[in-house]
Amino acid sequence: MRHSIFFAALLIASGPVPAEPVRIDGGYFQQPILLDENTRETYIDAFYLDARQVSNAEFLAFVRQEPAWQRDRIPRLFAQPNYLKHWPQALTLGQRSAADDRPVTYVSWYAARAYCAAQGGRLPSLDEWEYAAALQRNASNQSGSEYAHALFAWYTNPKSRDLAPVAATEPGPLGLHDMHGLVLEWVEDFQLLLTQGDKTDLLGGSCGDTARFMPKFDEEHYATFFRYQSRSNFNARSTTSTLGFRCAYNVEEPL
Amino acid sequence: MPRKQLLTALAGVSFALSMAPGAFAAESRLKHEGEFIVDGMIFGLPEARVFEEDYDGPPVVGDYLTALPHLKPLDYEGNRTHHVRLDTFAQEVEVAPGYSFTAWTYGGSVPGPTLHVREGDRVVFTMKNRSDEEVVVTKPIRGGAPYFAQLQQNPYQKNAPAISPVPHSMDFHSGTVAADDKWRTIAPGESIEFEWVANYPGVYMYHCGTPSVLMHTAMGQYGAVVVSPREGFPTDDKVDHEFVIVQSEFYLTEDGDGYRYDHQAALDRNPSHVTFNGHVNALNATPLRAKAGDRVRLYLLNAGPSDTSSFHVIGAIFDRVWYEGNVENEWRGMQTVLLGASNSAVMEFIVPEPGAYKLVDHEFADAERGAVGTLIAEPRN
Repeated sequence: MRHSIFFAALLIASGPVPAEPVRIDGGYFQQPILLDENTRETYIDAFYLDARQVSNAEFLAFVRQEPAWQRDRIPRLFAQPNYLKHWPQALTLGQRSAADDRPVTYVSWYAARAYCAAQGGRLPSLDEWEYAAALQRNASNQSGSEYAHALFAWYTNPKSRDLAPVAATEPGPLGLHDMHGLVLEWVEDFQLLLTQGDKTDLLGGSCGDTARFMPKFDEEHYATFFRYQSRSNFNARSTTSTLGFRCAYNVEEPL
Repeated sequence: MPRKQLLTALAGVSFALSMAPGAFAAESRLKHEGEFIVDGMIFGLPEARVFEEDYDGPPVVGDYLTALPHLKPLDYEGNRTHHVRLDTFAQEVEVAPGYSFTAWTYGGSVPGPTLHVREGDRVVFTMKNRSDEEVVVTKPIRGGAPYFAQLQQNPYQKNAPAISPVPHSMDFHSGTVAADDKWRTIAPGESIEFEWVANYPGVYMYHCGTPSVLMHTAMGQYGAVVVSPREGFPTDDKVDHEFVIVQSEFYLTEDGDGYRYDHQAALDRNPSHVTFNGHVNALNATPLRAKAGDRVRLYLLNAGPSDTSSFHVIGAIFDRVWYEGNVENEWRGMQTVLLGASNSAVMEFIVPEPGAYKLVDHEFADAERGAVGTLIAEPRN
């Protein structure tokens, strides 16, 4: 199913070359942000993760197949009014960040989920996405401060009017492209559940409430924390010039 | 009802009214169900409303919102309700010659506009998170606050639109409310509306309270609210000039051919720049002006985010200081006023003679990173 959709996308527009999903082996994930003070380590089962973000061309193929997700038909419940607003028309791609090979943005969590379901996949969980990103970073030579500097530069000035094409940069050691620095990616459980005594903060975070979630007070951990925090403050309808996604797939274990 | 009984009943009502004038006056100050009064102050305000609006109008609206160092005089008697809009969006701003960065702002400048109200006033506040839009503040804006004309007359930060979509919030220190309701974070494209009552006079900070609060404030999301005392200050009739000054730190590092926020420097309290009103030249290129013998009043807020300010005017002594801007907290004859992060003071001095008077943070490591301004005094007559 997934490959036929890709094929259809290629027929419609000269989109990016399809990339095989990458198998992420199961293993223990050291939580970089202590959402639960008693859980420092979580076991993550093996899964597949797209090597790169979903492109405009691929998302266009999807909304052609499932017209309910076209921007002039989508119910307001499922996206903010600027859903896919950068496309010149509902079924037409454009230039710069609206070009066929750029990561799709201005998509809500609902739309991202629907896309992945149509490929026989799903959104990665927060832990899966962060685990894959951490595994790849551990296998690379990037220092903590290089990582932090790249992220803070991107957070404050994402240059989202002219995003680079998907997979334009070399993949990391695991074969994943652009885990950081191109767009922020939707995950299935993006909203944090933070507790303060018997009160639970559904959206995640209030003024100054940071230190108790940080295993270390260095810029590397703050760079990661900022991703957790801002992702959590979006809502499922949010659509912005920096919000995109990639899909995950279950590993079918032999019986 | 027979006529006589009706008259008796009416007399009873009017008697009850005459017995309790205070209670009725107080109740007229309450606007929503659930509000209540303790010690003459209003609490229990309605829940904040988060919504989406198709709004691309002036990002700062309200007659009493000005650009630094201006303060709009309160030209009304008693109390009123202010309808205030202060949208949040990214903006490229310059904080020293050649040092520009993409800031997160309220209203397009760092610090943001100054709001002036009177003790007891009510503020109905609206903010849209427009961080995913390019918002221009340097062209004439119809229906906007006086802030725009003042900024456009002297655009010393060289404000230019920028895009940096991030969830934000607004925390007014001048409001007494439940922060998890009113100061809640809204995503790009969302708006929030809430009310607060200026229960206590003072000079207050407002800022973004979204984690990391250090990053959001160091990125530029703060400004001042002046709540003037209900009965004013004892020197109101003698003051010749009023200016608002906000001190704050910037933590910039080179990034490509520009500059960006440096979180490690912010954690280490190692600012690249410390400024009055957001630029090392703000009060030097455009000095404050007065005449010898004038009484000058400064409303000073140290917005931090992390440093103290030891504020001093070289050649003058603060004749009166009201710590935090509350008329009850009066000091006399101060050479330097120490303000922690988000502390403030209203301070007055008499200009001794013609000349140039430097305003400094007497913590000289801060002064030498930019916390210096100038007041030029002309002859008395």
